[in-house]
Parts: sequence; C-alpha cells; structure tokens
Amino acid sequence: MAERPQVPDSARNLGRDNTGDSPAARLTRLKEGDTVTARLFRFDPTAEAAPRFETYRVPYTKWMRVLEVLTYVSEEIGGDLAHRWFCANRMCGTCAVRVNGREVLACWEPAEPNMTIEPLRNAPVVRDLVIDRSEYERRVLDLTPWLERRDPYAGFPEPLTHPSMARADKALDCISCMCCFSACPVVGLGNETDFAGPAPLVQLARVALDPRDGIDRGRIAVERGAVFDCVSCYKCEEVCPVSIPIVTGAIEPLKALAFKSVVRKSRHARVFLAIVRARGRIDPSALILGVQRLAALRHPFRVLKLWRRGKIDPLKTLLGFRLPDIAQIRQVFAAVRGGRP
Amino acid sequence: MRRLVAEVVVIGGGAAGTFAALELHRRGIKPLILCKGLVGKSGASIFAGNLVVPGRLLGNTEQQARDTAEFLIRMHNHFLIDQHYARAAGEWIEREYYPELERAGLYLRRDDRGNVVTNDGPVRCMAAHSQGESGVLFMDLRRKQVLRAGIPWLEETAATALLTGADGAIAGVIALDLARGEVVAIESCAVILATGYADRFYPRSTATREMSADGIAMAWRAGAELMNLEIQWWHTSDVRFPLCWQRTQVYPNPIIGSSRSARLYNGDGEMFFDQEADAPAAMGPYTIQLKRLAKQVLAGKARFDGSYYSGFTHVAPGTVTTYTDYAKAFAALGKSVAADTLETACSAHYRQGGIVIDPTTMATRVPGLYVAGGVGGHSNGLIAPATYDGMLAAETVANDLARLRPAALPVDKVAAEEARLLGLRRPRSGNGTTPAQVKKALRAVMGEKMGFFKDAAGMNEALAAVTRLREDMLPSMGLTNVTPRLNHAWLDAIDVTNMLEVAALTIRGALHRTESRGPFYRTDFPDMDNGNWLVKNILTPMANGDVDFRTEPYDLPFLKPDFVRRPSLEVDW
Repeated sequence: MAERPQVPDSARNLGRDNTGDSPAARLTRLKEGDTVTARLFRFDPTAEAAPRFETYRVPYTKWMRVLEVLTYVSEEIGGDLAHRWFCANRMCGTCAVRVNGREVLACWEPAEPNMTIEPLRNAPVVRDLVIDRSEYERRVLDLTPWLERRDPYAGFPEPLTHPSMARADKALDCISCMCCFSACPVVGLGNETDFAGPAPLVQLARVALDPRDGIDRGRIAVERGAVFDCVSCYKCEEVCPVSIPIVTGAIEPLKALAFKSVVRKSRHARVFLAIVRARGRIDPSALILGVQRLAALRHPFRVLKLWRRGKIDPLKTLLGFRLPDIAQIRQVFAAVRGGRP
Repeated sequence: MRRLVAEVVVIGGGAAGTFAALELHRRGIKPLILCKGLVGKSGASIFAGNLVVPGRLLGNTEQQARDTAEFLIRMHNHFLIDQHYARAAGEWIEREYYPELERAGLYLRRDDRGNVVTNDGPVRCMAAHSQGESGVLFMDLRRKQVLRAGIPWLEETAATALLTGADGAIAGVIALDLARGEVVAIESCAVILATGYADRFYPRSTATREMSADGIAMAWRAGAELMNLEIQWWHTSDVRFPLCWQRTQVYPNPIIGSSRSARLYNGDGEMFFDQEADAPAAMGPYTIQLKRLAKQVLAGKARFDGSYYSGFTHVAPGTVTTYTDYAKAFAALGKSVAADTLETACSAHYRQGGIVIDPTTMATRVPGLYVAGGVGGHSNGLIAPATYDGMLAAETVANDLARLRPAALPVDKVAAEEARLLGLRRPRSGNGTTPAQVKKALRAVMGEKMGFFKDAAGMNEALAAVTRLREDMLPSMGLTNVTPRLNHAWLDAIDVTNMLEVAALTIRGALHRTESRGPFYRTDFPDMDNGNWLVKNILTPMANGDVDFRTEPYDLPFLKPDFVRRPSLEVDW
C-alpha cells in the first residue's frame, strides 16, 4: 500500500492537486490486492435502539470506487447491507453517502484505505445507508420548480439562445443527489429555520434564471424557500459532485430576485446594505440584531460564543464604528441604481 | 398485505411508463405507477444520450430524413421492426414529442445565435442541455410532471406477478414494497407494462441495478407471447475500470457541434474503428464497432472484456467539452481527454426483442395487458419511440376500459403469490447459497456461453447450466438476514427466479434462430440469412408448461435488405 499523503480536513481541499489528493494521485494510493477497511454504519430503526458500526475488509480492485466496496460487502460478505444505487454513472443521484465525514457519490468517489461510511444527514434513516428522501422531495415540490411561461410557446424550435440560458445552465447539471442538502448546516438546524436547503433552491434557480419563465420566483425563494437564511458558508459547493456553484450561481441570484420583487421581506439584504452604507463594511453583530431583532437575545450563550470567537464585536457596534473613507462608499451607493433599500 | 384498487396500473417509472401515466391522467383516467426504483431516476431512460432529429425537423433535407429512417430500421433494428410502426412513431416524434418536451421546459442546447446544436452528417442528433446527460433532464422533467399532476406512485416497489381471472384477462398485480417489506395486492383490469429493455444477465451490463427481466417473466407467466429474445445488443466502448463503471461509455456517437466521434484502438495502438470514416450514417454505431472488435479478437489483438482502448485524442479538446459531458470519466480518473485513451470492454446492452404486441395498439394477447417501451418485442426501445408507445398504450387503454370487465382478484392466486414471496425470505441454511451467488453464477454462464461468439454446443451447455441452477441452487437459496425492511437480498431472490426463467427462454430462442444478424452472432451459422430469417422468432407458452416456437415474416413496405445471404461479419449493420 502506498503511503497516504497528508490531506487537509476541509472538504474544500479534497481532490486538489496541491494537496496531493488529485484524482491521479488517488489512482496510485492503493494497488490491486491491498485491503480497504470500511467501517459501515448499520441501523434498523424499526428493530434496534441505536446505530452501530461494523468493520469489513475488502480487497482492492483497479481504480475501485466506494460503490464497489459497498457492493462487495452486501453481495460477498454481509448479504444484508442496505444501500441504494441504480446507475453507477453519476446520473441517477441515489448513491450518495458520507465517507470520512464528507458527502460523496459512492459510484464516483475513489475508495480510500480507511473509510467510515455513513448515511447522509438531514434525512431519516430507513435502514443502514439508505435515507428517506421524502422530506427533501416535499421541499422541492413546494417551490414549484417547473417552467411557467411568460409568453405562449412559439413552437419547435422556440427562439432561444445559449447566452440567455447561460445562468440557468449550470443548475441544470443537478442530479438531486442530496449531498449539499446533507452538508448544509442551516438545514441541520431543523425547525429553527424555514430554509428550504441548497438542492431545492438549485431546482428553483433552474426555472428562476430561465428567460422563458414568467412568474415571481423571487417571492417564492423568500416566502417558501427562506433564501436569506443561507449563511453563504459554501459547504454545499464543496461537496457538489457535479461542481455546481450553488451559492454564487443559484442562491445569490435568487436573493437578488427576491430583493427586487419583495424588498419588504428581504430584511437580511436590506439590513446588510444599510450597515454597509452607514459603516462602510459589514458588522456582524449589527447584522444579527437587525435581522433577528429581539429574537437574537433568545440565545445568550450563542451570542457569548460568537463574541468569544471574535465573530461579533458588540462594543464596536455600540461605538458606531465606521471606515474613514465612508464618503467613497456612499458615492458607490449613489451610483448604483436600485441600491437603496 | 396491503390491498389497493386502481383504474390502471402502470408498471415502470421510465420514459414509457411516466408518459403513459400522464396521458391517462390527461384523459381523466386514474393510473397508479409501480416503480421498482425511483420514478425518473432508476432504469435505462436516464442514459438517453442522443436525441435523433427525425423527418424534416430542424431543416433536415429529404435525404437526411430518408437516411434517418433507414438508420433506425436497418442499422438499429436490423429489419426486425414493424415498418408501419416505425413510420407512425417517427411522425409522432417529429410532430408531437419534441414540441411537447420543449413546451414543458426542456432545454435543447442552443448555440450563441440560437440554433439547436446538432452534429454534421447524414443522421443528426441533438442534446438536452449537454450531450450524454439528456436522459437525466428528460426524466427529471417527467418526474416533476407526474408529481405536479398528483398521479400516485409506489416507489421502490417491485411488481412480482400479473394475476389473471378465470377468463384469462388481467385482474390485478402483486408487488413487494421493498422499504416496508410488505406485499401489496392491487386490483385492476388494465396493466401497462413498461419495465424497460435490458436486464443484468451478464457480468457486465448497461442495465441499472434493479433491472432483471421481471416484465418479460411476468408477462410470460400471464400467458403473453415473446419474440426475438436472442437479439442482444452490446456496448463496445464502455469503460473497463473501475468495475462499477460498466455503464460509462466513451461515447462512439458523433459529437454535436462537429462531425467527430471517439475512435477504437487495439493494444498495439492500431485504430480499428472510426465512425466518421467507417460508418458516417451510424448515429449509434454499436454493432459496427462490435463487428470490428470481433475481427480484432479473432486476430488475437483484443478481447471482448478489455485490452483495447477508446478516446478522443484526434479531436480538439474544445470539441469534446463544449457541448458534451464525455470528458467526465477522464477527469474523474485524472486523465486528459485530449491526450489519453481509456481501456474499454463490452457490456451487454439491451435486448431488442421482448413481449409480442400489436404495434398499432400496444395490446398483448392477454386481455387487459398492454406494453410500452423496450420490454416490447416490436422495437428496440429508444427513448422517443418508447414514449410514443406510452402514448399509444394509454390511448388504447382509454378506449378499452369500457369493455374490460371489472376485475376481482382471484383469492387463491393472491394467496399463492404471497406465500411464494414470503417463502423466498427464508433464512439460509449452513451451506445454502445466497441470491447474489445465484445471480453471479448465472452471469458467469451467460458471459462464457452466450456472448457475441456462440454456437449450438455452447448454448446447449448454457441451457443445461441454467437448468442446474434452477433445480439445484434455487431450492437451497436463503438469506443471511431475514429482515423484511429494505432487504435487497430478498429482492435478489425474487429477481433471480425471473432471470433464470427468462435466461432459459432466451437461450432456447437463440438456438432456434439459425443465422447471424446484427449483434446476434453464431459461429455455426455465421451468415445473415434474409431469405429465411427476416422473421419474428416467437415463443408461445403452452398449457403443459412447454414452449411452442413459430416464426412470422415481417412486412417490408418501405425498406428491404439488398442481399439475401452474406457473412454477417462483412455486413456493416
């Protein structure tokens, strides 16, 4: 077995050349006949009180993928591992699992020498690695992500250019694998937020950014998708197996549409702008207070934790900190049409 | 056991099944979809990579329209297709299908000036969003249409039997809800069977995980006839490693926006297939590739299971990456689509044959049983004709519902099927086999004896081996874990029972066809014999459990082969 290079923990650094973890490097990390050790999550919620992990040793075959490890366990050793897959070709989007804490498609991800394999988060487990997709599907459906034409269909082929579709085009790569839905910390907050989650918003962006669509998608994004609850942490983009720029290419454009059509409900964007205009840059504690208002005080320990870690500085906020060259910033605001909240 | 009643049951959640359900819904009829996987996500439909431009669509010339029809009949179906059906389907696809999809929002890839991007050549295709990914977009659209229409479905629910009443007509369906581990009995007088065109009978196969000839087995047991089961297609340029990428193609079809396509090379680096020069009219050049590979195998320069290579090194990289996702496998392996080739191998693709239907109605000879898509024997199940089938089947069902008698599930048959299913969930005894082991053994037999090169001796050995598997292995088969919940080993046990039955019928059909044709090749009958074998090779179930064979000639109103008999390896289709 070749020595495993040092790979930084952040999902953002995985699979990159400069971390020694490029696809090419992964092809040589293991040789045929080496052993892959897979620690698998096992759980039948109807019959067992708690999940457990079982460890299996699987012989490596050339360029092995995680799916082959799971299939070997279910067909050659265990016989009863529940894991879902259909196409093994990065198309059906049903085989996603977490490997060593990161969401991946089992069919596309190279096997690692040591793997802990768990089901996706933010969805109930049916058995072992299989999750119940129905809550995710309900959220997608709730956003009505199908084309509602602005003008009557003109007949085949309708007038349409690629540049006009370019903004929607990346979102069309989505295979509904739920990797981003599992990785999203805001979805992980459960009922504390109404955030629909990254993948449902990508589905919404497909039609919202389509020039043929004619309904107020911005309103849907904010009223049913709570799009401003996205904290732009980029976890979704880090794990997307088809490299969709989920934050910059789907969620931010939806926020922009929401700000245009329902300014009143786009409080996050309004407060954000007001702070930047007043102070020259964003002030996190002012942002939290402005968006959550009194609700922000419901979680005093969270506030203290943020303060201790330097994420917020209420003293600065109280002192009315502002950048010295604020006049320049205000000139920018004045120059940008529609920049006023 | 859960009991349901449905006006019509549609079995299958792919292109044909979802469209049949949508069409029934549009006509005010209430269908229930049973899908062994997830609607629009499992099955073969998501693999639709190329959308053929039919007729005069998108400025096709008269000549291109003719070439396209000829490609479908000659190269893609080897004349084993009802030509009246082919014409009617082609006209519907041109007139209704693409407009319906685009109206619903499908994005057919445009260039900067707004032209739909196609390849150059006698037969053209286009792509939804990105070439190679079209099926994903198609089926995502269908899934949403079905959800939006509120059509009920049972997902991850495998139909296991079509039940007929005393009059031989359809009375309902028995299914297994895999997640709950519950048997479901559905009363219905009409079933549209749309389970797809492939099954995983070989060590390498393009069929997705859940496909196991269930539709063919169920229809056969319900009394339907089967035909041309032996015409098995092959993908020649599927990626050899990793092993699970056996469905991942180095696409041999022309790249849209160009006239280029992938080439095949043997281990010495000698090119042995170039679609652009060797077969410009072959939009899907699979069979020509396969015959070229067979010659390399005979010359000792390649094997069907590997040691030959495919790639785009002769093409400017931008040509591959602008409109296609063909580079995705290269990238995931750290390879360059511009500089590297990938080792490729053959995967069993689809079976051209299937259930015998009337191609003007999609009706089988079993009253109340209709078929749509690749599981039918009438054509090979490309996504567009399969959708046409769904439309046609729904139209026929709508017309027939008034005269089909209300169904009543036969109590004894329901009990017997439930007992059979529960019986298959038995624990394995000490030295008993698992269902996965039986599947593996069957695939090994088919791989060894029923590959491209085969003869009567080998096929008889295969038949004997399959019989042994049925008689010796099945009775001792049991499960490691008998949990009812999401137990794939239980499903495997049900699958493999169907697979062994259909494998035996397939081998018998192959023994019966004493010629070679298209991707079907016998070393003991190496000639394509248009004089005797331009026929349907039909299997009929007999009351005593035996099989009756007969042949029925095809009507050839528009196109005929231009020779009577020729060595099949020398024929370019």
